[in-house]
Amino acid sequence: MRAFAAILWKDLLVEWRGRDRLAAMGVFALLVVTVLFFAAPPGPLPSQREHLPGLLWVAVVFASVLGLNRSFALELENDALSALALAPVDRGWVFLGKAMASLVVLLVVQALTSLVFALFFDVDLASVAGRYALVAFLGALGLSSIGTLFAAMAVRTSYREVMLPLLLLPLLLPVVLGAVRATAGLLDGEGLLFEPLQLLLVSDGVYLIISFLGFEYVLDE
Amino acid sequence: MSDATLPSQTSLAGTSSLLQRTTGALCLLLAAVWAIAVVQAPVDRVQGIVQKILYVHPPCAFAAYLGFAMTAFYGALYLWKGDERHDQRARAAAGVGVLFATLLLLTGPLWAKGTWGKWWSWDLRLTLTLLLYLVYVSYLLLRSFTEGSERAARFAAVYGIAGLMVIPLNYFAIDLAGGRSIHPENLERGSLGAGMSLPFWLGVAVAIVAYVHLWLRRTEVEHLRGLLAAREATMAHRDDPGGASWDS
Repeated sequence: MRAFAAILWKDLLVEWRGRDRLAAMGVFALLVVTVLFFAAPPGPLPSQREHLPGLLWVAVVFASVLGLNRSFALELENDALSALALAPVDRGWVFLGKAMASLVVLLVVQALTSLVFALFFDVDLASVAGRYALVAFLGALGLSSIGTLFAAMAVRTSYREVMLPLLLLPLLLPVVLGAVRATAGLLDGEGLLFEPLQLLLVSDGVYLIISFLGFEYVLDE
Repeated sequence: MSDATLPSQTSLAGTSSLLQRTTGALCLLLAAVWAIAVVQAPVDRVQGIVQKILYVHPPCAFAAYLGFAMTAFYGALYLWKGDERHDQRARAAAGVGVLFATLLLLTGPLWAKGTWGKWWSWDLRLTLTLLLYLVYVSYLLLRSFTEGSERAARFAAVYGIAGLMVIPLNYFAIDLAGGRSIHPENLERGSLGAGMSLPFWLGVAVAIVAYVHLWLRRTEVEHLRGLLAAREATMAHRDDPGGASWDS
């Protein structure tokens, strides 16, 4: 438990002092939104409204891949990753520390992206802010948990940056679809839909368990 | 290091086991009977000749899913017991599973074009199969991009198990997204036309036996590769006792 707090604190402190991961992810998310917007069929804004939740989440997923890669690339310097593996604590706590630090960074990026999104596309996120925050949190939790597990693997392969999305994206579908559907429900004024929320909650639970147990086997000296 | 610890010469020689030969012969025999049965089976009144893909397409699905289930099973066994042979079995199962899934995804569109009029549909089952295919292709990529066989084995085992566990979630996700299902449901008893069930089940038998045969052979190849790598490491150690073996 103390290992968890120590790693979380360390990662957040490094991030706070450098703020490079945050900047890279934020700019990248905005770029993705811009590119995807122009890639969508042209037309007045209302006709594109149904694509907006998907657009938002695709940007978040891509940005999170960037951040997760960085989270472990950091540990390669001075071979800190080996030190983490050698630490006489349960590796599950090491996982939780890394995952929660990524979660916090991702949440900040999401907040910024959502804000810009709401302004650019004239989306009324403010009226559903609380419920949207819950959906965003659940989506980010799923992303950072299984993402942390796979980033720890990908960083040890020869094609680091390439490997993470290949591993992550096929398994991420439940969380992404759940989050997109839930966001769409909120924007359409249908309120918080039960089914997407259920899918998000169950996926988060499954991902957390897989990652907590699996992390034991992906850290090595 | 004494020679006794080296794998002996004979263990690397061709060792087609009795089981391999039996399954190989059985597969050929079944395939011959199956081919005759497929030719003899009546032509579908509505779909015409294209319907004969029925005798190839679903059997490939049986073999592919068997391969992916075995990948996860032997991966878990490897993590539990730490025995290298379980990893070789998992790896072989993934390779052969991907082979059958490729056949599945090639024969499916042919049939779809003939009956639905389009090559692909974002149907629940199709999407799920495609995702599963991508998971196990990524599994093979992960293996080939990871240095150190022990590390690759561990990573792959974790990924293979995660891939299998996410299948039900993916199922609900695609269902929720409204993947309209136009793919026929699982064949129920009696849903096959007269004269079609014999070639169909023969096809399933051929696919399963072919899978087992290829899996056995592939496992042996992986085993021999392991022995070869061990021998090379020993040789390198002998030439340069100081280094080399340290970080391998």
